[in-house]
Amino acid sequence: MTARDLLTRNNVLGTALVAVLLLLPNLATAYFVNFVMTQTLILGLAAATVVFLARYGGMTSLAQFLLFGIAGFMFGNAAQETGARGLNLGWHPWAAVAFALVVTAAAAFVLGALASRTTGLYFLMLTMVYAVIGYYVFAQIVEISGPGGLTSIQRPDLLGPPVRLYYAGLGLSVLAYLGFRAVGRTGFGLTLQGVRDDPVRMASLGYNVPLHRTLAFTLAGFVAGAGGLLNVWWNGQIDPASIAIGPTLILLIIAVIGGISSFEGAWLGAFVYVLVFTYLRDLPLIDRIGITEARFNTVIGVIVLLIMMLSPEGLTGIARRLRPALRPRTRTGPDPAAGQAPATRTTEKELGVTRS
Amino acid sequence: MTHPSTAPSEPGGRAPVVQVRAVTVAFGGLLALRGIDLAIARGERLAVIGPNGAGKSTLFNVIAGDVTPTSGSVVIKGVECVHRPSRYRPRLGVARTYQKARALAGLTVRENIYLALAGLRGRHRALWRSAADRRMSDEAAEVARRVWLAEQLDTTAGELAHGQQRQLELGMAIATGPDVLLLDEPASGLSRGERERLVELLESFGEELNLLLVEHDMDVAFRIAQRVVVMADGEQITAGTPAQVRADPHVHRIYLGTEAPA
Repeated sequence: MTARDLLTRNNVLGTALVAVLLLLPNLATAYFVNFVMTQTLILGLAAATVVFLARYGGMTSLAQFLLFGIAGFMFGNAAQETGARGLNLGWHPWAAVAFALVVTAAAAFVLGALASRTTGLYFLMLTMVYAVIGYYVFAQIVEISGPGGLTSIQRPDLLGPPVRLYYAGLGLSVLAYLGFRAVGRTGFGLTLQGVRDDPVRMASLGYNVPLHRTLAFTLAGFVAGAGGLLNVWWNGQIDPASIAIGPTLILLIIAVIGGISSFEGAWLGAFVYVLVFTYLRDLPLIDRIGITEARFNTVIGVIVLLIMMLSPEGLTGIARRLRPALRPRTRTGPDPAAGQAPATRTTEKELGVTRS
Repeated sequence: MTHPSTAPSEPGGRAPVVQVRAVTVAFGGLLALRGIDLAIARGERLAVIGPNGAGKSTLFNVIAGDVTPTSGSVVIKGVECVHRPSRYRPRLGVARTYQKARALAGLTVRENIYLALAGLRGRHRALWRSAADRRMSDEAAEVARRVWLAEQLDTTAGELAHGQQRQLELGMAIATGPDVLLLDEPASGLSRGERERLVELLESFGEELNLLLVEHDMDVAFRIAQRVVVMADGEQITAGTPAQVRADPHVHRIYLGTEAPA
């Protein structure tokens, strides 16, 4: 691949976006950076794991938020030295990080293995069951969740100032975005896409389909765990209610808003979600029309409904459709089969291959 | 008249590559296969023909590992395979095609064939691309050329025409250089020209390839196969060379519903 090949419109736009995000702490208020954007990056990272499984594996998982939470709880138990709640193991923070990620990946492996023979709706339901069971495990075993959650969780000194947490979120998000896209072209990613398209065919080609699904679920769980660590550092606390079924649905909603087959959509959806929850109350007259804080979920619900009706591929699908209108010189072929086989038509563009 | 072909020496005195013995498959109360025996001798091209519902596809799927028989045994190259899943077959050098083309719709022709290679060579758990991947990708292009898909290398399989999907299906099956090739109605839905190309391709493989062909189209089956097994109602009716089977009045009655031409 030559430098010229790398100079595509998307790459230039992406680099510019990252540059703006790097400079953001100098451009925007601390509140916007440390509250809105850090939260966006954390939720986007977790939602990207939903997209990874859905897009490459055809698996819509509701267990990602549980794995996100497991990492947080494990870190809290391992790192805290004193306090009334949790195990208070008092480990070095980075040892606690490693512990949390290993436990999360192990949990993902076991849960993935149990779900690996199901697909579609059954997979969705099974992962929802995981989320419910996970909630009750943490809610009832108070030794590891503390009655009412673990509080005053300190982040490692390296990430002390809030803006460093923002940069950590940005760094991991860029890494996850590029990594997930690159994996799609590797043997692992192609195999996963093959399993998505036709598991029976893949078995007859010699593949162990359930094992491959399990490994993909483990990889996604590991990344979700990294997001969960950022989340617990950002929040400073974690309690079982934060991984209950309601919050679990947030990731799926974010992925649907952004477009469940696009990695950009994960962060875009998270941004829209956080914006609505942060700024909706500030809109003039918003409470006069009956939209108070208690009804924000209704607003999110309406947004999701509109997006699903207008563009099953979410906001990125809308953006993709608007692009030819803005740039009349590009080829205006029919829109990629909306919602059917996820992202099949974009493969060519992503691979940077040219038609012979 | 039945020809139980249980003797391992049949025909030509060489041990069969695939040996099916007394296989029965029951779907609920329906007996799809009734204790059938079948052997593919080394270097043999065998066709199984029969009317719809004869049990051809069930027999095929038993050999390919997609259907576990109710009773009986399937030995491939000396390995008992009845309870081994289909993913074990490629390691024995067995490859198959599907009656309804099952190429991986979201991936390109090159990626489809790449996956056929990677399944056996184990690059499929790598999270990065290596020189081995690039070599397999080049190999995939070469296989695509053999099945006349060089122009469609970067087209997704879902966008291919029906005939091209069959070609890709065949490409995926021959990519790893199997020595037992199982073809499930390869000619179904193909145009006359596409059939000619298929026959030409299969004839180009030569002696080293063992072929089992399940075919509804008698013309294609008789041209490719050296030996033909005729099935009806889950049993073998007769077997022989294409010429013998063509002349067999019993076959005509059961298969075509007419008497043999005088």
